[in-house]
Amino acid sequence: MDFLNAIFVQPFADMAAAPDFLLQVVWEGLVGGVLYALIALGFVLIYKSSRIFNFAQGIMVVFAALTLVGLTEKGVPALLALPLTLLVMLVLAVTIERAVLRPLVNQPDIILFMATIGITLFLIGFGEIIFGGENKVMITRELMIPTDSITLDLFGGFVSIEQKDLTSVIGAVLLVAALLLFLNRTKTGRAIRALGDDHQAALSVGISLSTIWVVVWFIAGVIALATGIAWGARAGVSFALEVIAYKALPVLMLGGLESVMGAIIGGLAIGILEKLFEVYWGQPLMGGNTEAWFAYVVALIVLLFRPQGLFGERIIERV
Amino acid sequence: MKKMMKTAALSAALAAGVALALPASAQEDSIYIPNLSYRTGPFAATGTPLMNGQRDYITLLNERDGGLNGVELTYDECETGYNTEKGVECYERTKENAVVTQPWSTGITLQVLPKSNVDEIPILAPGYGFSPMADGKVFQWAFNPPSSYWDGASMILKHISEGDLDNLNGKKIALLHLDHPYGKEPIPLLQALAEQHGFTLLPIPVGLTEMQNQSAQWLQIRRERPDFVLMWGWGAMNAGAVTEAAKTRYPMDQFIGIWWSGHDGDLKLIGEEGKGYRSISWSVPVPDSQLVQDIRQYVVEPGKSLIENESELDSVFYQRGLMISAMLVEAIRAAQEEFDTQAPDAEQVRWGLENLNMDEARLEELGATGMLVPFKTSCADHTGHGGAWMLEWDGEKFVKVSDLITPDREAIEPLEKQEAEAYAAANAPWPVNEECEM
Repeated sequence: MDFLNAIFVQPFADMAAAPDFLLQVVWEGLVGGVLYALIALGFVLIYKSSRIFNFAQGIMVVFAALTLVGLTEKGVPALLALPLTLLVMLVLAVTIERAVLRPLVNQPDIILFMATIGITLFLIGFGEIIFGGENKVMITRELMIPTDSITLDLFGGFVSIEQKDLTSVIGAVLLVAALLLFLNRTKTGRAIRALGDDHQAALSVGISLSTIWVVVWFIAGVIALATGIAWGARAGVSFALEVIAYKALPVLMLGGLESVMGAIIGGLAIGILEKLFEVYWGQPLMGGNTEAWFAYVVALIVLLFRPQGLFGERIIERV
Repeated sequence: MKKMMKTAALSAALAAGVALALPASAQEDSIYIPNLSYRTGPFAATGTPLMNGQRDYITLLNERDGGLNGVELTYDECETGYNTEKGVECYERTKENAVVTQPWSTGITLQVLPKSNVDEIPILAPGYGFSPMADGKVFQWAFNPPSSYWDGASMILKHISEGDLDNLNGKKIALLHLDHPYGKEPIPLLQALAEQHGFTLLPIPVGLTEMQNQSAQWLQIRRERPDFVLMWGWGAMNAGAVTEAAKTRYPMDQFIGIWWSGHDGDLKLIGEEGKGYRSISWSVPVPDSQLVQDIRQYVVEPGKSLIENESELDSVFYQRGLMISAMLVEAIRAAQEEFDTQAPDAEQVRWGLENLNMDEARLEELGATGMLVPFKTSCADHTGHGGAWMLEWDGEKFVKVSDLITPDREAIEPLEKQEAEAYAAANAPWPVNEECEM
């Protein structure tokens, strides 16, 4: 009986007793969810245009953030380091297209996937040579990101909102809006979607595969930079940022690998749900650290009913 | 340029997860010292300065003294990325001709431990590994000087209770720990002491993917309002925790880490906001010591070090790395003298580790006065239980804020003995050295 009470009654009683704390949990989940969504978007864009599951997305986050911080350490002003980092990500996109993807056109998907593992290992080694392994401080103030916190007195308690988290959320929303506009309103964006819908048909109407790949990998680089700044502002910039890419995997399972909306909604849902579960059920009943597996359980439950994910395309093949 | 090329070569090799192209076989005029290190991955930020310190100490002896009593020390790193499976591979790859193995992770130590009796290679795990390894009768080939995790837990409690653990009666103590064998290591002792002294222990695990986003863990701390938070963190978890503590406005003077959670680089992320955070430590940086001056002269200035900038020389972790290699070298030196040989084998180095005497006089001879707690090992005591000091972050660096603290051995020993016997029984037949006198 106590067990049932701990599952079905106590958590909701706790929520009602301390609504300010509940709001804080939801806010922290939302911030995490936005950042998960950003990482997942990087995966989705590349998968949509090339059917490649980009294992290197996590290390691209590290590489972009380290480049930005590394350039400022060398004396480059922050506001100049930002476009220079974007330039580096563009050069990286062109290099990957020329050196890795182009020679592997028409190879099975698994070969391309393995190639992205190769890119990951290369970037780990290359990043280590250039930047070293030490934890670095994100140039938050230099980028004019406010670092104070706002305390809202609510329901007899308080909700604390870090301005840098708020900036991350606003920045992510603007980035996603710009991305959606780009994908839906520009010729290149439509070409990316066309490639995602039907590779052969897109090629037959003259869409350049290599150009689109460069554009898509560059966009993934931009997203990686935004993600790196947001996460780096929270706990520094180091190779540990790579592991946060694993958090995007259940988001992709939930939202579908081809869906931009799936990545966004999946990211937000998992961010908020895993935080609520951890705080109200995981910690009291299971000793905590349920965030390590909760998102996968949610994703697997969804897959039982919708194997293509919530927003993925249902593939029907004639036999 | 030369230094960069050297760094490049090293890093590329590490990233590929391969051993360096150093000779893996011992020669008569060299002593092979492998190190299962990590300079890449999520734990690189804390691993790198330690490995740099270890490497530079060996380089110093080779450059300044022409090796150890005329024999070159061959230091060889094998990159594990703090991954237990890779660590075991590295152990297997480097064990031939090794006089010691340095697993550099409690998880790897636990995997290598059963092999030590078979391969007869001593494990040197300074300040980490399985705490009951202190029992030399049971763990003949394992050494964790100068203090074990249980010693660390005992000393932290002693410090926060002002010497009397009964003062903790009715208090709540959270243990924020990496969800990994290392992070879980102090739990058995803390649970036993909680029952004995009437405080509540609240373990809060942090998973690998949550190291940089510990908001859920710190929400729990906000809700539970523990009187103290102890931290067994490593890698990016340390930086994540101090950032969240500052954000949550948890009082820094109630937040205390074990010695692996006292890295300058982590606290520099929050600077002034981290003022008051403490970390127990069996080593203290002494920037103007003779040893550090020699390192500067013979290793750093000629470009033989891998440190990124000279400020790393004064950090807690770099200088702890120096002390770890110093312990190993002193064991080899003792073996050379005892067995009258220039290149002692693994069994002889095991004897050296069992007869380490790092007293104040010896530390002074090494130019390392005040850098390490004095300790002495024996056949039965493979830790030495030298104690530790409390360090405090002053906004810019860690400073020593206590006299030497010693663990409550009376409270620890029964549990240590019980766990060591349980380990031996679970891994029977397990050889026990009955000749050791406690």
